[in-house]
This record gives sequence, structure tokens and C-alpha cells, in this order.
Amino acid sequence: MEKTQLIEKAEQLVAKIEDLPTIPAVANQVLQLLDQPDVEIEQVADLMLSDQVMTARVMKMLNSPVYKPASEITSLKRALVYLGLRHIRELALTTSFISAFEHDAGAFNITDFWEHSFGVGMVSKIIAAKVGYRDQEKAYISGIIHDLGVVFLSTFKRDDFLAVLDSIKDRPVKLADEEIKIFGTSHCEIGFCMARKWNFPDVYCEVIACHHDPEQAAIDPILCAIVNLADLFCGVRELNYGGREWVSFNLYEEPAWQVLRKEYPELANLDVERFCYELDDAIPDVKNLVSSIFNTNP
Amino acid sequence: MAKELIVAISDKDFELLRDFIYNICGMYFHISKKYFLESRLARRMDATGVKTHADYYLLLKSPRGTEELKYLMDEITTNETYFFRNVPQLNAMENKLLPEIVEAKNKMGFRKLRIWSAASSSGEEAYTMAMILLEKRATLLKDWIIEIVGTDINETVVAQAKEGVYNAYSVRNIPDMYKRKYIREDNGKFILAPEVKKFVTFNKLNLYDDSKMIFMKSFDFIFCANVLIYFDTASKSKVVQHFYNNLQPYGYFFVGQSESLHGVNDKFKTVHFPGGFAYKK
Repeated sequence: MEKTQLIEKAEQLVAKIEDLPTIPAVANQVLQLLDQPDVEIEQVADLMLSDQVMTARVMKMLNSPVYKPASEITSLKRALVYLGLRHIRELALTTSFISAFEHDAGAFNITDFWEHSFGVGMVSKIIAAKVGYRDQEKAYISGIIHDLGVVFLSTFKRDDFLAVLDSIKDRPVKLADEEIKIFGTSHCEIGFCMARKWNFPDVYCEVIACHHDPEQAAIDPILCAIVNLADLFCGVRELNYGGREWVSFNLYEEPAWQVLRKEYPELANLDVERFCYELDDAIPDVKNLVSSIFNTNP
Repeated sequence: MAKELIVAISDKDFELLRDFIYNICGMYFHISKKYFLESRLARRMDATGVKTHADYYLLLKSPRGTEELKYLMDEITTNETYFFRNVPQLNAMENKLLPEIVEAKNKMGFRKLRIWSAASSSGEEAYTMAMILLEKRATLLKDWIIEIVGTDINETVVAQAKEGVYNAYSVRNIPDMYKRKYIREDNGKFILAPEVKKFVTFNKLNLYDDSKMIFMKSFDFIFCANVLIYFDTASKSKVVQHFYNNLQPYGYFFVGQSESLHGVNDKFKTVHFPGGFAYKK
């Protein structure tokens, strides 16, 4: 099915939901402030500090070994300076996304969902660093939010989504393909529509839409390929939604791998096996980050 | 055994030794196994009289290191095998790889499956395959010929494999459904059903023997766990090339958990599945 048709269907689905989560007040004010010309980092920091939960989450996301800052970030202002104004918008949106779905991810165990999301964020950043992609923060945030559509289906179409999950259990079937059969669209397009509603910058909307088919991307196919690969690797290394989807892939045949290889030929030398084993080693870091973000017991 | 003094290993020394072992043997030590490595290193440090991990690392890198590394690998790999050992591998085979191969061969009208357990030890891996495939005789593998070959360099274990009698440790991981059907307990011994045994043949084989290796032809699945780690890079490459040649174009080659062929053979491609990966031509 054509992507435009899938998006049309997703729009209809999202439009029917009356109680769609909205962006928390402070985050919204931050976004408005960022739209103004000549905004100062101090102003943004002062505003963000009025929301303690958002501040704490931003700090945890940036100070974790999952993100690996070059040096410890001790204050929100330093965090904002470190990131630069260009990333504050995404960070405010990402913490909003976390707040909106912090208590319930419907059909999913919320912890499994966020562990996968932060896992993909971490691996996206690692791949970005390995290939020398210019904006590693963008890769990190893209990874965290790539499955926005999954949490929508899981929350607002809970029963049908559970049926989808049951039908693919232990089968080498792609979740998105099965979703299209049941909903006429997949979590990629639904996430895209939600991200647009929330005014995520276009490049993030594209990653959400194309994280399973980076070849369709127009703005930043490399970023889409990075997140696609990170998603695949997390799917086979215990950051896989508690095993709800049985992922399998032949790396060298993956379009994402080919997109990246074309751009970064030295990727051919990547020690894929070791990459997987190191990913296993990093799983506790991801779990710790998720439990600290939600203040659950570590 | 005398109790060795276990010296806590620093993160830096752990990384040094982990990278050294990985680069030479192709086995990755997960951080979760740090304490295990620490205790096994203590034994080797005690035996060699080396006091610190840093000095032990230097010993491994010295001319005496090749021999010492073999002792260390003996300490850190458990040679004892058991049934249903690598569950992610078995799941991948059942869920995806086997149905895929069956489909490809059905199209060609060639209904024969060949599997090689290339370091079969006392036979647990080969017989695990036999049990799984036996369960599919009524469905996926109806009217198929199944050949499972187990080989090992050690004649004693080959004889044990042929006998098919096991202890409680070997059978502890067998799912109940299989255990009820194919294992009979007799006086603390666990005896394998003849219907499983008949699918498998065991032979002595040195993986390094070119004249024999060229005859191990046309396999759909080859398993070789925890053996290549003992070979130097040149020998490893040679043996893996034989596996490559002896594998069907659509077949899969499996190594052990935490093993890697990176830098050994650049023709094999990785195919990933939950909890592991296999190699494909």
C-alpha cells in the first residue's frame, strides 16, 4: 500500500480519538518561548525550572551512561548550553511524550516500552558516533520517540492491538505488516500524525514515519537508517518489548545497512558480533535510566 | 582444592583481558561474567605465581602466553555440554530457519535435511536436534530424509555419544514434553530412546584434517560451539572455510554463545534473531 494512503488512514484514526494527550503547560510555554526571536538560554532555563519533573527528566536523560555526556552535566542551564538551543525544543517535546504516557501504555508493560525506546535512543547515538553522523543528540532523541505510534495503538486501540500482538507471537512476522492488516495503517504513520499534531520538527516526524523503511525518507534518510538499524538490534538483544515481536534480519540485506554503507563505506569493517555483545552489556544502563526517569525502584 | 586468594579485578584490567581474549580467541566476556572471570583468573594466577591481573595480562602477551591461554580457556569454558543448551538458537531454527530451508528444498523437490554437530562431545547437541526434528515428522518434515552427523576429535566422547546414556546434569534443560517421550530414567541414569538415536551417526574427526573435511558435504545446518576459541587465527580461518564450503547456499552456520567470527572469515554474513545470530553464505 502507498505511504500516502497509510497516512490518510492514520489521520482518520487519530482524529477519532477525543482524549488525545496534550503537551503539558510548561513544555508548551517553552515551545512558545523558543519561537520568539533572540531568546536567551537563561529565560528558557528559568521557565523549565518551574516544572521540577521536566527538569529532573531532562537531567536524567542527559547524565545517564546511556547518553554518555563528555562531562557530567550538573545544572539544567549547563545542560541547555551543552545541547544548544536547537535541541531544547525536541527535549521539551520528548519529556512531554514521556509525561503523557508515563502511567499506562495500554497493552504494553510501560517499562518494556520505555526500555525499548531508550535502548533505541542509545544505540542510535552509538551508531551515529561510529559513522560520524553530525548530530548525535538528534539520533538519541529520534530513537527515544520513534515508536510514538506504538504507544498510541497500545493505549487507544488496546484490544485490537493485543490481538495483533497475539497473532505475531513467536512468528517471524513484522509488527507493522500485521498492523496494516488490522488497522489499515501502522504505528509508523500513526506516530507521524501524532508527532505532527504536537508540532515535532519535520525531521523527527519523518524518522517516526520511516523508521522501518528509510529508503522512503526525503529529509534525512541517514538518520532514518540509523534509527532503523538501532531498532533492529534492540529487537534481537533483550530490549525487545519483552519479546512481543520476534525480530529477525539479515544485516547485509537490510536497506538501512545499504543506505549507511553507501554513505560511510568504512562501516563494512564494523565488528557486528562484538557490537551485539556490547549492547548486551549496556542493557542494565538502559534499565536503570528508565527506572530512574519514572522513579520506580532500581 | 586449595582456596585461591581472589583478587578483585579493576574495570581497566577486566577490559584489557576481555579485549585480549576476544581478539585471540573470538570469545566475548560479558560484564555480567566479571566475577566468574575473576574467580577463574585467581586459579591461573595461583598456578603461575603471578600476583596481579596486570602481570597476568603481560604473561598472556609474552612468548609463554600461547600455552597459558589454553589453560585459561579450559578454566573459563565449561566443557560439559547438555541438551537444549542454546535455546535462542533452537527457537530461531524452529521458528524461521528450518521452515525457510524446507520451503526452498521443497521447491527443488529435494526432501533431505543434513545437520552437522561439528564438535559433538557426548552427543547432546546432535540428539537435541534429532528430538526437535522428530516432532516435525508428521507435519513440516513429512516424508523427509533426516541425517544428523556428530563428530569429535576425542574417541572416548564419540563412544559415549553412541551409547546415549546421560546424567541428571545433561538432561536438566530438556522440556518436559520431550523428556517424557524420549528419555527413560533407570537408576539415576537417563537413557535416550532408540528412535532418537537412529537419526544420528557419530564419528571421530579432526576439524583440522583437510583430507577428511572435504568429504563433509552439503549440510543445511552446521553447529560448532566453543571449539574455534582454542585455535589460532590461521587455523580458525582454515576450519571456518571448510564449514563455509560444506554448507548449502541457503544453510546456516552456528557458533557458541558469546563467540565471534569477526576477522576470521569475511564471506559469512550475520543473520540476527532474538538472543543470537547465525552465519549465512
